[in-house]
Amino acid sequence: MHQVLIIDDSDINLTLIKALVLKLGDCEPVLFENPVKALAWCRDHEPDLVIVDYMMPDMDGLKFIAAFRALHGRDELPVLMITANDQKDIRYEALLGGANDFLTKPIDRVEFSARVRNMLSLRVGQKFLADRAAYLAEMVDERTREIRERERELIFRISRAAEFRDPETGAHIQRMAHYSLIIARGLGLDDEKCKLILQAAPMHDVGKIGIPDYILLKPGRLNPEEFEVMKRHAVIGHELLKDSGSEIMQAGAEVALTHHEKYDGSGYPKGLKGTAIPLFGRIVAVADVFDALTSERPYKKAWSLDDACRLLEEGRGRHFDPLCVEAFLAGWEDVLDIRQQFRDEEIPDI
Amino acid sequence: MTPFAIDKPAILERLGGDEDIYLMMLDVFLQDIDNNCAAIEAAAASGDPVRLQREAHTLKSLFATVSDDAGSAEALVLERRAKEGRVDGAVDAAAHLVERLRDVAVVLERELGR
Repeated sequence: MHQVLIIDDSDINLTLIKALVLKLGDCEPVLFENPVKALAWCRDHEPDLVIVDYMMPDMDGLKFIAAFRALHGRDELPVLMITANDQKDIRYEALLGGANDFLTKPIDRVEFSARVRNMLSLRVGQKFLADRAAYLAEMVDERTREIRERERELIFRISRAAEFRDPETGAHIQRMAHYSLIIARGLGLDDEKCKLILQAAPMHDVGKIGIPDYILLKPGRLNPEEFEVMKRHAVIGHELLKDSGSEIMQAGAEVALTHHEKYDGSGYPKGLKGTAIPLFGRIVAVADVFDALTSERPYKKAWSLDDACRLLEEGRGRHFDPLCVEAFLAGWEDVLDIRQQFRDEEIPDI
Repeated sequence: MTPFAIDKPAILERLGGDEDIYLMMLDVFLQDIDNNCAAIEAAAASGDPVRLQREAHTLKSLFATVSDDAGSAEALVLERRAKEGRVDGAVDAAAHLVERLRDVAVVLERELGR
């Protein structure tokens, strides 16, 4: 059903146009004698066609069209202006001012019906295009969601692959990722960045895939040569992820490369110092070290929470970015929740 | 001005031969006649050319609706004079138009069998 707004201060024209619109079928006429009231109605309603007289008290048809077009979302709705036969200049002005077509008085039914049908066809086309655009946008959103979900799953599986070759556990990557999130929130990062670090942090040790088993799985302390090889995992992880078109992979590459840098410049692989170390690297450094210290491994006992906190405190400005340590400790209640949620003996769902 | 005679075939042709709309249109014309007469007289008496132009325009359209070319032409003269800001003789011209409206109404009443 097409809603046709008719504005004319003359009863006879209003009645005549209404009758002609009803004769077209599938149309619901909405009548106004006063253009100001019609304009107010248009703020809350979106007619399929507007038929407006030119000469009216309070507001003429040209002014009405200008005000109507200025309303949000009304710039393309079809408008027919009614003028007298001798008002050629007004017709030109109407067409230039936003009317799609015009009708002359006295109204001729054949002409009226043809022009109204044309305008309504235009409206049907507009609606079809708008609906199609909305449908396509929805499809794109859905596909994008699916791709992001697959991407998230793939990242988790890649991270798990690296962890399987390491004494670390699946729960470790979950905990350190959530600790990273706590720090990011504490630093006031926006929701997008917080989500990004949660997804990217698990990839911090993905480069361990490229480290030989005799070093990676060595139960004792690494000798200097072995440690040099071990240190390569940061660069290997970066190499694996760096050229991805995915924002998450790119963030993962940055985290992999920089999570062993130290705030005082004594870290590796580049010996970056202070804020020259990317923020995600500084955040993950705190989260990773804290979880490694407080977790039991075949070659070591778990540190107490107090001892681990003390190490973080002592490492402020040396190993760690002081602000990251502060943000981590400020979220202590959440840290304890994460420890409860992801215990080592539990295998997280993939 | 020549006396008004209704040209039903011409009106019906414009209305696509629809007798119902034709009768409804005549009825609305008659219902509004007092208001329209009062509006043009008041506009002429006010000396406001904008108001006079608008009311003369309305009558021009009203006469044209019932195919009264002579009445429409006379209303057009008043509308154009008002548009130029000329209101002299407006009261007489308005009285003429009112008289014409009344004449048309008589014919339409007869057409509707009243």
